[in-house]
Amino acid sequence: MLSKVCSFALSGLEGVPVEVETDINNGLPSYELVGLPDAAVKESRERVRSALKNSGRKFPAQKITVNLAPADLKKEGSYFDLAIAVGILKATEQLPHTDLAGIVFLGELSLGGQLRPVAGILPLLISAKAKGYKTFILPEGNAREASYIAGITAYAAENLKQVLSHLTGEAPMSPLPVLAYEGAPAGEGRFDLAFVKGQPAAKRALEVAVGGGHNLLLVGPPGTGKTMLARCIPTIMPDMTFEEALEVTKIHSVAGVLGGEGIVRTRPFRSPHHTATTVSMCGGGTRTVKPGEISLAHGGVLFLDEMPEYHRSTLEALRQPLEDGVITITRSGGAVTYPANFMLCASMNPCPCGNYGSADKVCTCTPAAIHKYRSRVSGPLLDRIDIQVEVDSVKYEDLASDTREESSAEVKKRVERVRGIQRARFEGIAGVNTNADMGERELKAFCRLSPECEKILRLAFDRLKLSARARSRIVKVARTVADFAGEAEIRPEHLLEAVSYRSYDNFS
Amino acid sequence: MTEEERAEIWLDSFGVEYNKKMRFCELATTPHAMAEFLSRRSGEAAALVGKETAERMQKKLNGEYFRSLTEKYAKKGIECVAYSSPLYPEDLRQIADPPLVLYCRGNTSLLAERKFAIVGSRHTPPQIARLTERYASELSRHFVIVSGMADGGDTAAVTGALPSGRVISVLANGLDHVYPECNRDLCERVGKEGLLVTEYLPEVKPRSYLFPARNRIIAGLAEGVLVVSGGEKSGTRITADLAMSYGRDVFAFPYGVGASAGAGCNALIKEYAKLTDNLVDIAETFGINLTETEEIELTVPERAVYEALREGETHLLQLSERTKLLPHELSSVLMLLEMKGLVVSCGGNRYAALK
Repeated sequence: MLSKVCSFALSGLEGVPVEVETDINNGLPSYELVGLPDAAVKESRERVRSALKNSGRKFPAQKITVNLAPADLKKEGSYFDLAIAVGILKATEQLPHTDLAGIVFLGELSLGGQLRPVAGILPLLISAKAKGYKTFILPEGNAREASYIAGITAYAAENLKQVLSHLTGEAPMSPLPVLAYEGAPAGEGRFDLAFVKGQPAAKRALEVAVGGGHNLLLVGPPGTGKTMLARCIPTIMPDMTFEEALEVTKIHSVAGVLGGEGIVRTRPFRSPHHTATTVSMCGGGTRTVKPGEISLAHGGVLFLDEMPEYHRSTLEALRQPLEDGVITITRSGGAVTYPANFMLCASMNPCPCGNYGSADKVCTCTPAAIHKYRSRVSGPLLDRIDIQVEVDSVKYEDLASDTREESSAEVKKRVERVRGIQRARFEGIAGVNTNADMGERELKAFCRLSPECEKILRLAFDRLKLSARARSRIVKVARTVADFAGEAEIRPEHLLEAVSYRSYDNFS
Repeated sequence: MTEEERAEIWLDSFGVEYNKKMRFCELATTPHAMAEFLSRRSGEAAALVGKETAERMQKKLNGEYFRSLTEKYAKKGIECVAYSSPLYPEDLRQIADPPLVLYCRGNTSLLAERKFAIVGSRHTPPQIARLTERYASELSRHFVIVSGMADGGDTAAVTGALPSGRVISVLANGLDHVYPECNRDLCERVGKEGLLVTEYLPEVKPRSYLFPARNRIIAGLAEGVLVVSGGEKSGTRITADLAMSYGRDVFAFPYGVGASAGAGCNALIKEYAKLTDNLVDIAETFGINLTETEEIELTVPERAVYEALREGETHLLQLSERTKLLPHELSSVLMLLEMKGLVVSCGGNRYAALK
């Protein structure tokens, strides 16, 4: 007899419906799985056999053929275990009087019949819902992320037995309640700007960078708190909206790094080690194209500690996503596009020994050595970092002092106000949300420079030997500084502050 | 070109050790005399320069070799100024061990003018580098500035004087090479707008042991030497000592106690150099007139920040306390002052005023 059960496969962030057809025939006992399954799918046979047996059902000693349709799509992962088990039972008439039509089965089986959670449930459910599927049975371990989606009926089961008794009507499960998105968790985080002593210049730069969505480079000797400052960036970024949170959660779900929370509520902060490969950074893989660090940092911060230590090719690969906010990874099997709209925050030492510009320690590097060290970060990449600021060594008195520093919450309020100004400014312009996103047209419209400002800019270029490419970047940052000051026009002092954030360009 | 000059250029092309080629020159001054010396007293010649070289010289006595040699130099844009040439600077001729031939690229007429050397070590603090640029630019109105090509102090001196084109860089390597690599652009510009000078054949590579000998040319060319930076073991010390022994005036920037970048300068001042914290110190010695730069107009906050900085290198936070300005307000004022050339950033959010 033939049975049909619905399941879903994942391709990038998109779910694709898969029909699991099971046919039982008389003949020598065998099990044939067709429809381009990968190793993990093929091994489902052993899991399904034991799970059925240990749930008190029979694995038929007949010729079993399972087809995963559409047959030309490569199937990966362990999503289909539950669907295959149910399909076999249905085909051998062990599930009489049940209607499986319209129910999507997802989940991996253990030998004992337990249901294990699978990666990527959230994006699967979202695309399944869009395609008209309404009822889902999935593992308990995926229950939380599923409950953020309204308008579907999802049942979470702990084991195969529970699923079967639900289907037969012996012990129906109740559908998952829909959870409302609560926004970022309140309360004191581990990181807060209040814990960073001194560093007014760096803090101001941090605020401006987050306010306008600019990328940031922190330069300073070792042990001056560059990492601490970077860790504070998410705490002053505006809270994520539900749509943003869903988008971020989708990526984290596909990558299988979603915690027990079910949804990502705080902005991600990713700090890959400098030994990271280009693939781990951008995403990829031989068959499954997995999102990389830059996609996991989507909506949050990608922090590159000790930037010159990263592989040159890895850093260069960041250039295109930094411009476009997405990355398209192409493999022979097809292309997948993942969002990658992150704020880049990098840190580096000023020179190989780390003491250049330090007040109390002597730098032992020759200018040539410093030049060589700095040139490990290419000009085009440095060009995409609008704000470069020096973090200097902290004195003991500063650390010990009790002076109250501004907390992240206070800074966040200002950032949100400035972001509000920008939202109003770029209303109706697609793809432009912050000052950093502005193109030439928006620059012309919103960043008119008075003759006085033009004069200063010209002088700055003459004296500081800035590269011509830096011009529009400076104007964008000046726009953000002016927004913080609440001014409609860019004034000379705003422009000068913006110029001071580019001082790292012209090291000679 | 006189016979003597031809002889000197020809002799120098064999890369014989300095002492030996000078002795050779004493024995024979013209091509004819050299030919005679090589053939008649071949034993003596072989003892002086070595058998192989002597034989090689013997073979290259014909005019063909000299023609191809000068053609090669001309192709590379190299002009040879030999010891006997009228272009050869008189000051340099007076020293104990003058180079036999100066290989030059650029404007050789600069050799005839008044020259002043500015040298510094590779570890030159940024504010001193800016100051050096200023001094070089001011002094280049009266002198041709002589320096090396190294990072730091030398680069600053050359950069400062380059816009006027009145700059001579003395190299410790042949003109086929560039050292240091990071100054490739600067070296090329000096070769076009100023003058590159070396006593080494074009193919000689830079070697650490060639630098002290190079320093004698810097000291020998100039009427005075300003040492802008230098640690205790800096090569600037050699230049200064040589200049002193040639009877040139030596000037040095003073440094604070414990500043390792300037320990050598302070030692020079203790011994014989003239403490220099003003262009007038140099101008007086040579009886030249250097007008101080015109007063630049400053706004009230700019004036306050500038005055606060004149007390010495200051951190942004201290500056903020003294001037009662917020750090981000300060940064725009500082930026403006920096653009006006009055203030320089020393790294680590610290700033210093330029006098």
